[in-house]
Amino acid sequence: MYMTIAKNRIGGLIFLALSLAYGYSTTLIPMYPGDEYEVFTAKTLPAVLAIIGVILSLALLFGSRDEQKSELPKLDWVIAAKLMALMVAYGLVLEFLGFLIATTLFLICGYWLLGERRKTLMFFCSLPLVTVFWYGLTQLLGIYLAPGAVLQWMGV
Amino acid sequence: MWEGIYIGVTTAVMPFNLLMLFVGCFAGTFIGMLPGLGPVSAVALMIPITYGLDPSSGIILMAGVYYGAVFGGSTSSILINAPGCASTVVTAFDGYPMAQRGQAGKALALAAYSSFVGGTIGAIFLIFFAPMLATVSLSFQSSDYFALMVLGLTAVAAFAGKGNILKALMMCVLGLMLSTVGTDRSNGVERFTFGSIEFIDGLSFLLLAMATFALAEVVMSVMNKSTDAQQSKVNNTSSLGSMKLTKAEIKKVAPTVVRSSVLGFVVGVLPGAGATIAAFLAYGVERNFASAKDKLGFGKGSLRGLAAPEAANNAASTGSFVPLLTLGIPGSGTTAVMLGALIASGIQPGPQLFIDHPDVFWSVIVSMYLGNVVLLILNLPLIPYIAKLLEVPRPILIPLILFFSLTGVYLVSFNAFDIQVMVIICIAAIGLKLLDFPLAPMLLGFILGGMLEDNLRRALLIHDESMSFLWERPLTAVIMTIAMLALFGQPLLNFIRSKVGQRKEQDVFDSE
Repeated sequence: MYMTIAKNRIGGLIFLALSLAYGYSTTLIPMYPGDEYEVFTAKTLPAVLAIIGVILSLALLFGSRDEQKSELPKLDWVIAAKLMALMVAYGLVLEFLGFLIATTLFLICGYWLLGERRKTLMFFCSLPLVTVFWYGLTQLLGIYLAPGAVLQWMGV
Repeated sequence: MWEGIYIGVTTAVMPFNLLMLFVGCFAGTFIGMLPGLGPVSAVALMIPITYGLDPSSGIILMAGVYYGAVFGGSTSSILINAPGCASTVVTAFDGYPMAQRGQAGKALALAAYSSFVGGTIGAIFLIFFAPMLATVSLSFQSSDYFALMVLGLTAVAAFAGKGNILKALMMCVLGLMLSTVGTDRSNGVERFTFGSIEFIDGLSFLLLAMATFALAEVVMSVMNKSTDAQQSKVNNTSSLGSMKLTKAEIKKVAPTVVRSSVLGFVVGVLPGAGATIAAFLAYGVERNFASAKDKLGFGKGSLRGLAAPEAANNAASTGSFVPLLTLGIPGSGTTAVMLGALIASGIQPGPQLFIDHPDVFWSVIVSMYLGNVVLLILNLPLIPYIAKLLEVPRPILIPLILFFSLTGVYLVSFNAFDIQVMVIICIAAIGLKLLDFPLAPMLLGFILGGMLEDNLRRALLIHDESMSFLWERPLTAVIMTIAMLALFGQPLLNFIRSKVGQRKEQDVFDSE
């Protein structure tokens, strides 16, 4: 799908909203008694940054003279969304399933999502690889990796 | 100085450090060859590994990865016309036509030799200039550092290219904004944490670097169908042809390589300029130097057109270590990532590094040179085999890179929440990339943010809470003037030119 969008306008608007939200949050930073007499407090730099941010986004919004209308490249958004969802799921189950199981599942699902269907290849590039990695981390480098809640329940 | 070099050599040639150098060069070449992944991503992917190493081994590994990735980028530029990073775009201008003529081997060899000479000249300059600048910078005060950081940020924006200055500046500001998240270091006030304990320590640099440069780049490459097409070209690289250069050819390119190396180093030292600008500049200069007949060959497989950017980008990569090691101010995205990794391992680059950690300082410089030797004697003959590694199917390679990025961050914090934050930052980074916002300035702003605030606060304290240091202290004033010139010089020139042009037109109109 080809879209014609003025990228600078969108970028400028997003950054303007961000700077305003940042500026508002700056006012919520707590102050110590007596800070009002200080030249430089925890609020100073954020306030300056918010002002610069607003000025720059206004400059981008109104300053770009040439009509910068460009086409977004043809991109496969579905696969990106699937990969993102896979990563989120990995983060959610990592501590529950433990490093070994969660990572093996992550890799197999990743291969499958990207179109790999050879089962042997998918297997050899997941469990043995993750086991070697896990062995290196826990046994050779002495990094402690929690076995995962599931394995603890099972008494492993 | 000789004592320093001795310390550097003894540290760099320790078996483990040599191993790190080999691993770094090899891994860097491989990652650099993957279209879409450049030196910044390669170095970012190595950070988690460096956390387990001592600082000198860590930076040797990252330095190896850095020039390995630049070299790998050149290889994919030559073989498949798909530059791995911006600094090797120019390499493809003449390298790819050579490969199409069946001279891929010769082009790769010439690129390797030019890079080697560029790296060598860069390393020699680094040995002389870095300690000199480090000694001078010992007299720098907080106000000077503040000015230098402003210069670093404005220079990155100024070199971002026409039309992108504003966007690069915005990214610098975004990076600075992100750096203010967490507990304020001077008075312990929480800022922008929104009551969440996850943000009390601020955003992790590693997380930001990995999410923006490793995850986002990989996901973008999956989204972009054209990279698959480029990848399939790799399979046709089995015959590279002869890798030998004739004496006449060497004689022809030698002056080009030396000229471009010197130019590349100087450009690399400038904060913000870096290898890409060095490569483009060297190519342009060589074309201007060439005779009318030679000029026609540029872009069609000219040896000089290939040697110039290769020598320049390697010399510039070395040059960019000068501001990093002596002032603690990174000159490019890659050195910004390295600075973050060094700070995380308890080392603050800057003038004190030279005194406090001479082993780190000198071993980096020596390993720069050794890295170039490794690339020449090991990587060049291995290129056909490394290219074979690229034949690993992408459906296998991509999840593995994602896994290394995610676990790299997880293994440092042991907090699964970080993975979710990475995904959010990755989505934001993809959005920013699609809107043509450069991401390196953001990382630079993020890394310099804390230091900038500390130095500004100290400078104000020293100068009785007055900003007068900006014009009263000569060194600060000079640096600030350069920063302002870097930022407003070009627009001002354009404005004057357009005014002069208008007046001339008016005069012509009046006289008619």
